[in-house]
Amino acid sequence: MKKNSFKLVELALYYIVIFFILREWLIPIMELTKTGFMGLILLFVAISLLLSLFRIHFLVSWFVKIAYISWFITFVYGGVFLFSRDGLYFIVNDLQVNFAALLQGDWLSITNPFRTFLFFVLIWMLVYLIHHWITVRMSIFYFLILTVFFIATLDTFTEYDGSFAIVKVMLLGLMITSLLFLKRLVTQSNSEVNLIKYVKLMTPVALLVGIISVVAILLPKSPPQWPDPVPFIQSATGQGEGLEGDGNGVSKVGYGENDSRLGGSFVADDTVVFLAESETKQYWRVETKDVYTSKGWEQSNYFDGEVLSFAPDETIQHSLPVGPEENTNTATVQVLYPYNFIIQPYGMKSVGIDVPNFENQTVELMMDRSTEKMQMLVNQGVVQLNEFTVQYSKPVHLYSELQNPTEQIDASITERYLQLPETLPNRVRELAAEIVEGRETPYDQARAIELYFRQNGFRYDTQDVAIPSEEQDYVDQFLFETKVGYCDNFSTAMVVLLRSVGIPARWVKGFAGGDVVDNNGSLSTYEITNNHAHSWVEAYIPNVGWVNFEPTIGFNNTRSIDFDVETETDDAQQDELIAEEETEPTEEMKEEKEEQQQTTSQEDASNVNNAFNQMKLILIAAIVLFVIGVTLLYKLRGRWWPKVYVKLQRQKKIDESSFESFYLNLLKLLEMKGFKRKDGQTLESYAKDVDSYYGTNHMSNITKAYEQFIYAKNSTNIDFSKMKESWEYLINRTTS
Amino acid sequence: MHGQVEAIIENIEKVMIGKREVAELSIVALLSGGHVLLEDVPGVGKTMMVKALAKSVSADFKRIQFTPDLLPSDVIGVSIYNPKSLQFEFRPGPIMGNIILADEINRTSPKTQSALLESMEEASVTIDGETLQIKKPFFVMATQNPIEYEGTYPLPEAQLDRFLLKIQMGYPTAQEEVEVLRRTANSEPIAHLTPVITLEELLALQEEVRNVYVEDSVKSYIVQLARATRNVSEIYLGVSPRASVALMKASQAYAKIQDRDYVKPDDVQYLAPFVFGHRIILKPEARYEGVTTEGVIQRIVDKSVIPIQRYAER
Repeated sequence: MKKNSFKLVELALYYIVIFFILREWLIPIMELTKTGFMGLILLFVAISLLLSLFRIHFLVSWFVKIAYISWFITFVYGGVFLFSRDGLYFIVNDLQVNFAALLQGDWLSITNPFRTFLFFVLIWMLVYLIHHWITVRMSIFYFLILTVFFIATLDTFTEYDGSFAIVKVMLLGLMITSLLFLKRLVTQSNSEVNLIKYVKLMTPVALLVGIISVVAILLPKSPPQWPDPVPFIQSATGQGEGLEGDGNGVSKVGYGENDSRLGGSFVADDTVVFLAESETKQYWRVETKDVYTSKGWEQSNYFDGEVLSFAPDETIQHSLPVGPEENTNTATVQVLYPYNFIIQPYGMKSVGIDVPNFENQTVELMMDRSTEKMQMLVNQGVVQLNEFTVQYSKPVHLYSELQNPTEQIDASITERYLQLPETLPNRVRELAAEIVEGRETPYDQARAIELYFRQNGFRYDTQDVAIPSEEQDYVDQFLFETKVGYCDNFSTAMVVLLRSVGIPARWVKGFAGGDVVDNNGSLSTYEITNNHAHSWVEAYIPNVGWVNFEPTIGFNNTRSIDFDVETETDDAQQDELIAEEETEPTEEMKEEKEEQQQTTSQEDASNVNNAFNQMKLILIAAIVLFVIGVTLLYKLRGRWWPKVYVKLQRQKKIDESSFESFYLNLLKLLEMKGFKRKDGQTLESYAKDVDSYYGTNHMSNITKAYEQFIYAKNSTNIDFSKMKESWEYLINRTTS
Repeated sequence: MHGQVEAIIENIEKVMIGKREVAELSIVALLSGGHVLLEDVPGVGKTMMVKALAKSVSADFKRIQFTPDLLPSDVIGVSIYNPKSLQFEFRPGPIMGNIILADEINRTSPKTQSALLESMEEASVTIDGETLQIKKPFFVMATQNPIEYEGTYPLPEAQLDRFLLKIQMGYPTAQEEVEVLRRTANSEPIAHLTPVITLEELLALQEEVRNVYVEDSVKSYIVQLARATRNVSEIYLGVSPRASVALMKASQAYAKIQDRDYVKPDDVQYLAPFVFGHRIILKPEARYEGVTTEGVIQRIVDKSVIPIQRYAER
């Protein structure tokens, strides 16, 4: 009797631990499905455990459980007592409805009460399984592994925070594992354990588990070793929105209108959209955007749809500065893709159109004041141009002016271009302040932000680019979590950072310079494909106006700076910044360089970097494969080498000079076949072994000749032709 | 097999049953100008073997039965005063023959043993300041009973070195022994043996043996074996260079017997136990552990590296 009660206590101990582990299962489920009545469900678990602990007859046990479930359902859903007319009616009615639905396979119309019932049945089964594991298998390891995996998965993919739950499960798991281990030991050794002995045995285990847990909790922990996989998985599985905001995770690159949801990977598109013939290579603007929504860009419509109209060749009033008259260049642009906007070089002065094509029609150019997008109107309707020319003079910014911010920026600009969403995490602002720390002028601050991305672990990639989830900020995610992205990530992040430190900034969309496909004197033809669709940044620098910045890794800044100041300033940082800028290649040099390199789409140095990284991986993989291959070839040489060797040697003749190598190689082949000759074994006795195996005397014949060949004074009377015969016979036997 | 050698062996086999190997080895020693020590218990046919060999060659055969009271002069001869000529005349002892059977050599005193062995080495005897060359061929076959037996004087190690080979006869198999009985039932076969090779032919054969070619790689192999005996932990004293020479000469003879004019490592390996066996002294502790010289030599041979390529400096 005493023994039985002890067994009961022991089992009760297991069940208590199991109860708490099951509680860790239920908590996240309750939390995530927003289910209430946790206490009542736990009560069901407890009842189930108790029933199996006391080995209640299964009929009773079943009755109790079903009664509890029924009571729970009627109580929760019907708000009525089970053993009343209403309660019974509720149950019967519900069962009818659901069985009908089940029979028709109409899973969706199963009612909540029935789902709850199924959930309870699941718990019931789980408890039964655990009972089986504990009492029969005496091993709970799989259950524990599953529990940890379950909590870790929920912790990773949902808002449920399982950090403490995992600790609890580990503690409980260690306890129950050691308890069961002890039980197994006792069963195996057939020894008797009473309560005192049991406590004595378990105390060190409990102490150890306690100490381990305390030490583990107190030890410093390294941050996550890999980035949060959720954004990547979402982008890979096509959740979230693509570049074009069209709901696809992977988009095709190109110029699009909708930037309200940025992020996601895209694939390259080599479709040529423009051919530009010009003397210089430059960025081509299309439009700007001003409102950052924490997911992407939208247009505020600041000027309420107001448009500016110009006649062809008329000087365009633009928000951007224009360079001196003598630098004026003309570029001819052919439009090869149904884009109906005009691409604008920096310093654009006027747009020319071959008017004869549009005789007797009202031709005018229109620029949306809000976005600065230009289109051509013919008879008030937007048309697509086949070809146009632009006159431009690239602005040259004086370094002294850039560094001399005396101008009070107009309120219309600050109001519009310092906008930031309220949800922007504070750490973005903190980071911005940190980056510009010590930089005095807005230009230096902007430079610091522009250069920030090149040094702090950012990577250019068009693949595996995350899409922010509902709660996430696009820039915040890029700056702090993924650090992987393409131009939209970099440019948007820079605009947000600039605005955070009070520098008016806007987001510019357009095309990068393109690839040179033809040279004609001083004119080059640049091919601009959809791959060159690009976005960058313009910041308002006092006294100078809008200056373009290029934060994207692998793309080059194309603004011209005239370093008109003496650089003997004491400010070390100043020097550093100038030096940075001076190292950028001049326009011509850059062009030459780029022509040499013939950089392909996206003109992307970090692509090269990525390619190198990939190459490295491929190289390592190739080396590993090579080593494995060589090892295998070497290990299996007995299979293939004889065949190759025979092919090589069959043509050759045996004579005085080659006999030795023929014979020694034959020995090697035989050795591969398993005829191992010990060093002390004479050739004659070895030959006898071989011959007796093959039932021949060829080996003895050839060996006899070989012995004469190597030991005798002269070998003139050896008939080498007969040797070949024996050799071939032996080779055929060994290789077959 | 060399024709003449085959004839001798066939002749011997008329008398000796199942002792072809011993006969071969004896001929190896005979052809290479060395001497043989036959060792085994009495009655297994040691004397018969020597007699058969001697009778097969038409050579001067002498037998010396060693006893404890045998004097050196009984072996090498004595000068006797001839009253007629008033001079001392040399009466040659039994040593002055071609094939000498020195029976039970370990039964005589070391003084007499040493007289025999000296003349074996020098192939001459010195009496009263006069040196007399012994006729060629000169071949001594000594027999001895194993030293464990009573009333024997074990041969010193240095003198064992004078023998080219030491051969153990061993008991015949049951079948062979029945054959021995059958043949000796009503006649003495040894009486009917006739020579099959003349003295001149034997001398010519010895000359041929000296011309058997030993490739340098094989010489190195012989040296390899000899040196190995000096580095084995169970061996107290390894073999001398004289043993290497002996092994080479024996190998040459063995090659000749096989009718081959060059020596193979097989010859060397085969002869190594017979040439080295009596020249190696095992450490006492090794002997107590049951290690035998044959076992040690076999191990050395197994571990040796046979030359299987043409000698580089050819």
